[in-house]
Amino acid sequence: MKLSADFAFTQGSLGDYADCPRRFELRYLRRMRYPALEVRQALDYEARIRKGQRFHKLLQQHLLGVPADLLARSLADDDELRAWWEIALSKGLDGLPRERRAETTLESSLAGQRLLAKYDLLALEPGGEAVIIDWKTGARLPLRKALANRMQTVVYRYVLASAGAQIYGGPIPPERIRMDYVYVAAGGARLSFPYSAAQMEADETRLTDMVGAIDAAAEFPLTEDERRCRFCNYRSYCDRGEAGDFNDFDFDDAEEDEDALALDFDQIAEIEF
Amino acid sequence: MLVPNSSFSAEQAAGVFAAADEKVWLEGPAGSGKTSVGVARVLRLLEFGVPAESILIFLPQRSLAQPYLEALRAPSGYHGGQVAIHTLGSLSLRMVETFWFLIAEEAGFKHPQDLPTFLSLEMAQYMMSRVIEPLLDQRDYFHSVRIERARLYSQIVDNMNKAALVGFPISEIGARLKSALAAGPEQAHIFDDAQACAQAFREHCLARNLLDFSLYVEVFKQQIMGLPQARAYLRSRCRHLIVDNVEEDNPASHRFLAHLLETCQSALIICDRDAGFRRFLGADPQNARRLRRFCDVSLELKDSVVMGAEMQALSNALAAQLGAAAEAQQADPRLAIISEAHRYHPQMVDWVADQVSRLIAEEGVAPEQIALLAPFLSDALRFGLAEALDKRGIAARSHRPSRALRDEPAARALLALARIAHPHWRLAPPGMDIAFALMTAIDGLDLVRAALLTEMLYRGGKLHPFADIQSAAMQDRITFELGQRYDALYTWIQRYIDAKQTLALDIFFRRLFGEVLSRVGFGFHRDVDAGNISMNLVDSARGFRWSLEFMSRYDEPVDLGLEYVKMVDRGLIANFYLRDWLADSDGAALIAPAYTFLLSNRAVDYQFWLNIGSDGWSRRLYQPLTHPHVLSLQWPAGAVWTDDDERELDRRTLRSLLLALTRRCRRAVYLGYSELSESGYEGRGLLLETLQAALRRLPREEAHV
Repeated sequence: MKLSADFAFTQGSLGDYADCPRRFELRYLRRMRYPALEVRQALDYEARIRKGQRFHKLLQQHLLGVPADLLARSLADDDELRAWWEIALSKGLDGLPRERRAETTLESSLAGQRLLAKYDLLALEPGGEAVIIDWKTGARLPLRKALANRMQTVVYRYVLASAGAQIYGGPIPPERIRMDYVYVAAGGARLSFPYSAAQMEADETRLTDMVGAIDAAAEFPLTEDERRCRFCNYRSYCDRGEAGDFNDFDFDDAEEDEDALALDFDQIAEIEF
Repeated sequence: MLVPNSSFSAEQAAGVFAAADEKVWLEGPAGSGKTSVGVARVLRLLEFGVPAESILIFLPQRSLAQPYLEALRAPSGYHGGQVAIHTLGSLSLRMVETFWFLIAEEAGFKHPQDLPTFLSLEMAQYMMSRVIEPLLDQRDYFHSVRIERARLYSQIVDNMNKAALVGFPISEIGARLKSALAAGPEQAHIFDDAQACAQAFREHCLARNLLDFSLYVEVFKQQIMGLPQARAYLRSRCRHLIVDNVEEDNPASHRFLAHLLETCQSALIICDRDAGFRRFLGADPQNARRLRRFCDVSLELKDSVVMGAEMQALSNALAAQLGAAAEAQQADPRLAIISEAHRYHPQMVDWVADQVSRLIAEEGVAPEQIALLAPFLSDALRFGLAEALDKRGIAARSHRPSRALRDEPAARALLALARIAHPHWRLAPPGMDIAFALMTAIDGLDLVRAALLTEMLYRGGKLHPFADIQSAAMQDRITFELGQRYDALYTWIQRYIDAKQTLALDIFFRRLFGEVLSRVGFGFHRDVDAGNISMNLVDSARGFRWSLEFMSRYDEPVDLGLEYVKMVDRGLIANFYLRDWLADSDGAALIAPAYTFLLSNRAVDYQFWLNIGSDGWSRRLYQPLTHPHVLSLQWPAGAVWTDDDERELDRRTLRSLLLALTRRCRRAVYLGYSELSESGYEGRGLLLETLQAALRRLPREEAHV
């Protein structure tokens, strides 16, 4: 089975493949939509995802010119969201280069495939720093080592280094790149990951191997680690148990999936009545 | 290099390789390679070093984006930002959502500090029903109109969309329709009622931050375009414009493009000659041509790269028969037609399936290169064709927009089971719905045994356990295995009822799907279509819940599940998802209404035109509350729509449809004709008349047909 002509790899799809090749096959090759629940506490999950999406939207609106006080007025009925917002404004944007681009997407080519990264915020100074900001609304800070190894960290830095020349005003030396995860629900804690030429080379090898393996794969086996099935909505397709628990779910992953729960109006065609 | 130099004609190359500060108008018939120029032009701009995020590809509908997406995602592609692809609707929605808090008050919304709720087609119909139903009952609105209520609402929605797209206030809808169409007081009342309903709906929306398509386009035009932040954003994102199928777009899009063209650096505007078949959605090809004056260069492509000589001759002959200037024929159009007359409709269906089978088996045609097209696709025709093809081992896919959500078997099964699981709604489904639901839900259960189960175990709106069947012979007939599956479903529903904790309906669907129906032994297990349809139902029910939960700030809360099911019962027209349309086109013949096929803007080797006697090929839908021509920019104020106008419209409609179809067909058209239609009537519509007359005009010679 082939990837569709308009397919591009993302940190999400590569993460899915790393978790379970079968999930990758169902979601991206067969494009199967499957409405089974991710977690048992469906409404809690939904509320949490929607709040995270609204938070990201607020920052995007602000960075496109909507005044902060006007946006803050819309948060009167949600203390938690207002707290995230205030922390993002007071701590998240501190000391960043002046040129800021919200919700920017960059695309690169790798091993004959497209690789895409959608950034919450890029802050750049031509000739100076190039900082990736990724807002996280999870309350628990992950282990630094796990975050460094996370597909998002790998893909985002690599794509900026390989495809960011135009917005930076020339090739970006990897050493100028830094990725900051800002945890607004943890008081604005910031976990920073600088980049380097050596790391970029290692990332390129890792990504090339993964993309090459997917391209060459004749089969997409189901993962043997059943723990990875707990939050997978294809569980019943694979006969793999029941939905997981909300409290164990890692919202850091879901935050990067902007299509989660959203009704995509672009997908709805006009019709004659 | 992204764009090879050698693969274009001189005219195409002039469009592709135009300077990065040139504005080009490109015109030609469908199939002449215009979109290839558009695609190559985007790649060329990127090659020039133009930032991807400063390029806007603007299209009348999202389905036309596919060639651009595929080219931009090609492995040898560029490194950099992302090219934006928008329709007027998607751009308006995005901009209104982003800048909402800056414009909500000025736009007249009563709660500018609250978030907006954008309404899909489904939700717009529902909200319209909430506003209008009291008026229908209290004021006897539309008492002389005999159409389903869902179509009544959707036509009022349509009027409001036309007002926004054409550019007149909604307060003029009634007057415009009356002056052109009202033959007497009764009809005038209908248009007055339509006017009052539109006004009431708009007020309802403004009071609750609801934005249907017409309102967010209106707000985009009136407020967003005047906002400095939004203008700055658009200036930076729209420095290079690629506009494809501009003739299928509407005057609001054209005005927006005119505004961009004044300041953008480069542009390629592509116009399909003789098209504009989306008139019912506001397409205005005449108005589109006004954009030509903003361009520095005008190019024309003349030759089709799709049609063979015979197909070209057929296209010309049919168009000439319908009033186009006749062109000298280079080939015999009869060689592009294959037909056979039949007395009865099922005979025609069998003949069509035989011909498809022969093309695939004997001529090696790929199934996806075959399109079976009819003016309308009834359940019977779709089922008959799919069955006939299936018997011959041929995969087929079909798409029908404008269908009620309840019409899909997977959705119907979920809805029927939801009714049983919520006895407090007092909406117990009839036995036949339960039998169909059981047949759909339980793998291996045929309709006869499903009906037996229903007869024995569905009483008083409740299911009962399999053990309640007293007769061992009857249990054997159902089989123990199917009985167990039935019991698993019954037990799940009974536990849900006993728990007395009503779930949100979309969550109920998801749990029922995940915990029972998609498991081994049940009907949705590993069924891609059932999964997708269930997901569409979930999306629909969730969108409904979100909108109404938010509305509870302003209105009395309602039982959301019950309200949703009632809405579906009213025959709500479901959202039509392009993802379903675009997915899995390989290896399957397409069965679709002709206009739906045109939505994809792709060519095939062979087309089958079915029911050619039907007048549906040329007649517009019966729409007593709206009129796409009278509510267009081109309609002269005060003019009266006459029978002659209607006849002329039929001819023009058919001409543009036949041109659009033939120009997307490489080799031949098969004509499916039966003297008696599906419903048993003799049909002699304009298509049949046109084909016969066109063929009669040809010199006598040995006919291929």
